[in-house]
Amino acid sequence: MGYIGEGILKALKLLLSGDPETYSAILTTLKVSSLSISTSLIMGIPPGFVLGYYDFPGRKQLRAFVDTLLALPTVVVGLFVYALISKRGPLGNLGLLFTIPGIAVAQTILILPIVVSLTATAVSQLDMRFKDTVLTLGAGKRKVALSAIFESRYGVGAAAISAYSRAISEVGASMMIGGNIKWHTRTITTAIALETGKGDFGMGIALGIVLLLFAFIVNWVVQLLKRKKV
Amino acid sequence: MYKLLSLTLIFFALYGLRDASSSEHPVLTMATTTSTDNTGLLDYLVTRFRSDTGIELRWVAVGTGKALMLGRNCDVDVLMVHDPEAEEEFMKRGFGFERKPFMYNEFVLIGPRNDPAGIRGMSVNEAMKAIAKWGAIFVSRGDESGTHKREMSLWRAAGLSVPGREPWYIETGQGMRNTIQIAEELGAYTLADRGTYVQYEADNHGNPPLVVLVDGGSTLRNQYSVIVVNPRRCKDVQLGLALRFMRWLLSSDTQRLIAGYKILGNQLFIPNAREGE
Amino acid sequence: MKQTVLYKIVHLRHSYRTGFSLEIPHLTISKSSSLGIVGPNGSGKSTLLRLLAFLQKADSGKIYFDGSWREWGDPGCRLKVTLLCQEPYLLRRSVFNNVSYGLKVRGEKRNLTGRVHNAMRLVGISPEKFSHRRWFELSRGEAQRVALASRLVIDPQVLLLDEPTANIDRKSSLMIRKAIEKVRESFHTTVVITSHDPVWLHDIADEILRMHDGRIAGSGTDNIIEGPWVPDHDGLWTKVLPDGQKIRAMKPPLERAPGVLSSTNIMISTRKPVEISAQNVLSGVVRQIIPVADSERMQLEVHVGGVPFSCSVTRYAVRALDLLPGKEVWVIFKASSVQWQ
Repeated sequence: MGYIGEGILKALKLLLSGDPETYSAILTTLKVSSLSISTSLIMGIPPGFVLGYYDFPGRKQLRAFVDTLLALPTVVVGLFVYALISKRGPLGNLGLLFTIPGIAVAQTILILPIVVSLTATAVSQLDMRFKDTVLTLGAGKRKVALSAIFESRYGVGAAAISAYSRAISEVGASMMIGGNIKWHTRTITTAIALETGKGDFGMGIALGIVLLLFAFIVNWVVQLLKRKKV
Repeated sequence: MYKLLSLTLIFFALYGLRDASSSEHPVLTMATTTSTDNTGLLDYLVTRFRSDTGIELRWVAVGTGKALMLGRNCDVDVLMVHDPEAEEEFMKRGFGFERKPFMYNEFVLIGPRNDPAGIRGMSVNEAMKAIAKWGAIFVSRGDESGTHKREMSLWRAAGLSVPGREPWYIETGQGMRNTIQIAEELGAYTLADRGTYVQYEADNHGNPPLVVLVDGGSTLRNQYSVIVVNPRRCKDVQLGLALRFMRWLLSSDTQRLIAGYKILGNQLFIPNAREGE
Repeated sequence: MKQTVLYKIVHLRHSYRTGFSLEIPHLTISKSSSLGIVGPNGSGKSTLLRLLAFLQKADSGKIYFDGSWREWGDPGCRLKVTLLCQEPYLLRRSVFNNVSYGLKVRGEKRNLTGRVHNAMRLVGISPEKFSHRRWFELSRGEAQRVALASRLVIDPQVLLLDEPTANIDRKSSLMIRKAIEKVRESFHTTVVITSHDPVWLHDIADEILRMHDGRIAGSGTDNIIEGPWVPDHDGLWTKVLPDGQKIRAMKPPLERAPGVLSSTNIMISTRKPVEISAQNVLSGVVRQIIPVADSERMQLEVHVGGVPFSCSVTRYAVRALDLLPGKEVWVIFKASSVQWQ
């Protein structure tokens, strides 16, 4: 109880006093995760839709492949991305190492399978009568596809939330690619890793509570969206 | 509502992208070790460096091995490490442009207050033998860092083989501060650099569970050097900025600053740059 | 009034992997007419409707629609024909957005709100109360009405309805019927409706077709007598009814073949005939008396051993015999009247 109580007190102190290090970590997390979720949604929803909506030879195998990518270990991704964006690597001259976009690249790779797979599931679960209904109301092929995405929006939204949660709780790749540089690439998770490693459990728990708050807010936003008349 | 959410997302995403480009000040990227970072010296020096030169120093704190790798891969402009043997190898193989030692402190053997193996006040060799004989838990960095390599040489100097598989020998593979933390949890002995130890002491309000039991003095000297990465190998290295940093570190003003860095009234580092080299 | 042909179906065939197949050699539907299709589940009603709605490509055969023979994928068709399915299905959006979908897809934005509200009122759904309701906040009947509204709002040339009032509450059922009548009257929409309920259908349809086992089995007033048929000793074949009574017919092509008995071949008596040439004299109870529009005749639905028989009698006979629901009567017909397809 000591650690946790201490942590909660410290968390309140840090947040209410506007502690710059804490808020810098929060801001960095926001920047990185916004970048990675935006990119992965743009890159992932179309293929996810195709995978769930159309039938083509090899579809099952492709789906199984994407599902195995769901279990990509973060440190492996971190290693792979480092090899890519290090100055010695093929994308070295992009200068992504130790930057926020660099971390976003790693996170995007990590969460892309989530977006693709869950979108595919959402779309494939569309009632067959949906297609008949929009067709008989006059929709052309393209409109049918677009309407199908809209119709599965709750499933896609769930995919996005799931992907976002994975992104903000990620440590391994963020540490490797970002370098945990104070004020610049120190996210909430890498800061927690640092502080707990130093034995400062109070600070670690404080940041952990902030992360939980994050998760609650994200969930609250989802509930709000659900209730909104659409 | 959707619109608000998307706008927020896009705002932060663009904000994040902006960070990829350089800031107003020129940026110098450095790889250093966890022990250096753990002492807080860099936080202390970086503001002064910026006001003196207008250069913003950014550093990643990793194990020595990784720091050297980053130097080899041209991912950083300058290194600040403390493993002379590895550094000399680094220079010999042409990865570095210039290397200058600039400060030092010592390694100390720390352990629980009750000192089960009774090494307090012993010489380093005696202490190592006692620990091995007693089978007291010893936590090692186990990460090929400067500290780790020094520790291994201590076993050998005491005429022992590196414990390796012994049940009382724990290899953490982590940074100095983490390793101290683990040693504390296990009530174990470990070799630490004084800088990280004093920081640890301060974090525990001057009353830490682990205390210095053996102070080897000059036999356990821990020398820090700054190395500029070789621009002939790494085209993108900010040679000018790196050299300015090196010269700034070696300047008498900065050397005085380093000496003046204290935690709990203890000086952590002794500057030893040799001017005019 | 000149009857223009809107649909012409020739040798239409469609099979499913389950073994069921639809086979319609010939069918014509006139513009602005109202066609009813009766038949049990699995008789092919829904399949036929889907083919008429151009939602599915038939395995073989040709469909002529609105002036030309249509190839599969012809873009104009689906915009003129719309189908309302049996189970109410709405898109995951508000009622308003459901109804307006067809208009938006056609890019018809002019007076969108007005048209949507009109369509809603047509099916008895108040725009003020219901526009913002979401797809799951409706009763089954309300949902089906909204689904109908979304089809009416686009002013279709052809309105196809698959069991539109099955399992729907009375009020909704009534409103749906009123809406159909209204569009027929105002826009001369061609309507094809399938139903289990012949009474309801009689009121709303000009002509009724019966379907059985993927085929058109006579007009709506024919009786279908399913097999199995068992050979009797005197060369005739017998089908046993649930209450033990027997129907006798000539030899069927297959044991399980369905026999068709036209309602005009049935005679009704209130007293058991003693010596009569007809081999079928069955005891039954009158269930319904249905007037036929513009005709001297009436359709009598008599239950014989629980099986409904449709019999055609004159109004005069109804009065003379004092026929009322619940009255016990005798159903009489010849064995040769049971015809085979």
